[in-house]
Amino acid sequence: MKGETAITLNDSLLPWEAAIPSPLTPLPNGERGTEPPIDLLPTPDCLTFARFEQPLSVNVRDSRLLTGSPWVRTLGRLDLTVSTEGWKFPAPPPELDRPPPRFEKPVDHEAIELPGLPDETSAAKKKRIRTKPTADTVLIKDRLLYLLQPPLDGIFDGRQLELPFEPFPYQLEGIAFLMPRHSALLADEMGLGKTMQTILSLRLLFHHGIIRSALMITPKPLVHNWARELKLWAPDLPFEIFPSDPELRRSAWLVSNCPLKIINYEALTRDAEVLSDPRAAFDVVILDEAQRIKNRDSKTAEVVRSVKRTRSWALTGTPIENHADDLVNIFAFVDPGRIPQDTPPKRIASLTSDSILRRTKDDVQSDMPPKMMKDLEVELTPAQRHAYDRAENDGIVHLNELGETITVQHVFQLVMRLKQICNFDPLTGESAKLEQLVTDMEEVAESGRKAIVFSQWVEPLKIIADALRPHGPLEYHGRIPQKDRFPILDQFRDDPNCHVLLMTYGTGSVGLNLQFSNYVFLFDRWWNPAVEDQAINRAHRIGQRHPVTVTRFLTENTIEARIASILEAKRKVFNDLLAMADKPASLGLDEGEIFGLFDIQARPKRG
Amino acid sequence: MPDTPPAPTAIGFLSIVQEAGGVLGGYLVTNLWGRPLEFRLSTAVQPNRVQQILYGPTLTEYLYADLIGKTLVEKTATLPGLIVTDSFQALGLRDRVGIPVLAIVPKLGDDGIELVHARASVPLILASRHSDDQLIVIDRLDRLDPSIDLAEPFTRIREAIAEARKMGVSNRAA
Repeated sequence: MKGETAITLNDSLLPWEAAIPSPLTPLPNGERGTEPPIDLLPTPDCLTFARFEQPLSVNVRDSRLLTGSPWVRTLGRLDLTVSTEGWKFPAPPPELDRPPPRFEKPVDHEAIELPGLPDETSAAKKKRIRTKPTADTVLIKDRLLYLLQPPLDGIFDGRQLELPFEPFPYQLEGIAFLMPRHSALLADEMGLGKTMQTILSLRLLFHHGIIRSALMITPKPLVHNWARELKLWAPDLPFEIFPSDPELRRSAWLVSNCPLKIINYEALTRDAEVLSDPRAAFDVVILDEAQRIKNRDSKTAEVVRSVKRTRSWALTGTPIENHADDLVNIFAFVDPGRIPQDTPPKRIASLTSDSILRRTKDDVQSDMPPKMMKDLEVELTPAQRHAYDRAENDGIVHLNELGETITVQHVFQLVMRLKQICNFDPLTGESAKLEQLVTDMEEVAESGRKAIVFSQWVEPLKIIADALRPHGPLEYHGRIPQKDRFPILDQFRDDPNCHVLLMTYGTGSVGLNLQFSNYVFLFDRWWNPAVEDQAINRAHRIGQRHPVTVTRFLTENTIEARIASILEAKRKVFNDLLAMADKPASLGLDEGEIFGLFDIQARPKRG
Repeated sequence: MPDTPPAPTAIGFLSIVQEAGGVLGGYLVTNLWGRPLEFRLSTAVQPNRVQQILYGPTLTEYLYADLIGKTLVEKTATLPGLIVTDSFQALGLRDRVGIPVLAIVPKLGDDGIELVHARASVPLILASRHSDDQLIVIDRLDRLDPSIDLAEPFTRIREAIAEARKMGVSNRAA
């Protein structure tokens, strides 16, 4: 074969020939190739080039050049490949993952008009409200989990989950705020539905399989209110209330696997030692009326902070009752370490803003009927005026006689005495306020409405009850046994002959939902405007469909008017408190202000 | 892939996104309430000139349906009873995975059967060659929660893709 068939190249056919170095052609550096020639054996399909006179001999270097760039260019991979990364999300517990009920009425495929284009107008009208990961959510899986959740307005439009009524958009935003947060303070003004927003957030987290256990800590009088709201807003969510018996309670802590447990502050404090058990741990702990832990060193606050938990939610309409420290101490539960010791008040807002959501009724007023405040100044009856003037004059004389031994309690006693006279004359029982209240209540009852009357004391409520007997008065205060209280509220709601509920601030100012009342009377004034607001908001809250009229009784030229003017000034300060522009002053009356109520010279001796 | 579609307890949403760096896919599987069960993201694919020439007019369907769509569906643990896509060219996924596929985009040319259903704010397109799927598709759409709009989850997918890119996931997957 060798020599018979040769691969021959004709120089003239190879325009690039000059670029090929060979033993016969010098390299660019002037040297000649020295590698031995190699024979290229022909293949069957090889063509003979007749014009070649000599067999082609190509050395290794030549062959490399022939197969290298630019003469041969690789096409690269002809196939296309792709790689993927995926995330699987928590599965809800089977009992909560049942498919939605089938509809009795089938979807009508024939009746639907063919839309040419998406309905941009209606889509634009309805703002979609969705959960979003928080800034401190680090893991991509967690971030995607919240980003990929369906819009809340779709879930809660009354079809997917059973709800008594569709939440307002601001409430959906509250749920979108709570759900992804491990540290949250929902500080909506009273009456905007913190309870409902919390329950629906919990319900969704349970449904999504994100949480499996939750503990609700609430003031004792509100335990049954939570139970009632849970049945209303999350009928598919099992819950249990911690029993009063310590042994049963221990079992509830350590054995029960009920997903949601409810305990009151007092019982929790008594169970402090159980909390060290690793089984007493929760995915979420919710603190209702979180101002209860505003005193950082109190036993309650310490025990609350010791509960093992992954998420900490606090609820309060008054995150700052008196001082900025109230908020700092609530955050000691919400996110321990978030606010370092001795943080200047001006910095608190920037440290906490991502974890606080607060809306006022003004913010959402389009969703709420109006609240009308009426300060009703009444003139004391002659008997009251006589008793009042004598008590005040004698009291001031007495205070001055105390000299340096005077304390704020002495002044306080006088204030209380005078306030009681403003309510009723101690001798005759006459009351200018009561006369006016009876008149107003006749109007309320005639219109078929219901009213709540608040007082600082139980005794006036007893007298008021007698005077309002035709209107079916019901009493709700500290002397009513705990077990009897909720039937009273149910009767007030359901009995058309019961038009008035008489409450003390202490028992009736927090957590109760009395939105079926349209009138609130503050028979006497509390010391702190935040407490008064809470009382008013029993009636002016979500679910209220009619305007609420609030009447604050005030007797002319008395201690009540002086206190009211101070409190009004403080209320203005309160509105700016959350902005944390500066360390807020006390909302109640401080010692100097109490002494300032009277024209007395005596002052306590300071050590 | 099974010949018989699985019980319709889940629904898949396949989004094909064309970007400067190529084409990528995001695939979300939800339950019948629209809640996320799984999410999977592909790397971006950028065919070169030779691949474009060699694959010719079949390239787009190959990329969307075969390379991205089929890979995403097969790698995902939860099998849906129905897949909805925002790309007409991904309708060919039906031939690869044996699950009915619907597109929520206007149909191209004469191909495709237009369906209207209360669960979608836009017309739904079924590949003409799979017209037999029509009854089963309607049955499965009827089982979805009434609050679901089939066009909505694509917003979530796009946000999730953006989030994943921000977190460097698409680079890592590449």
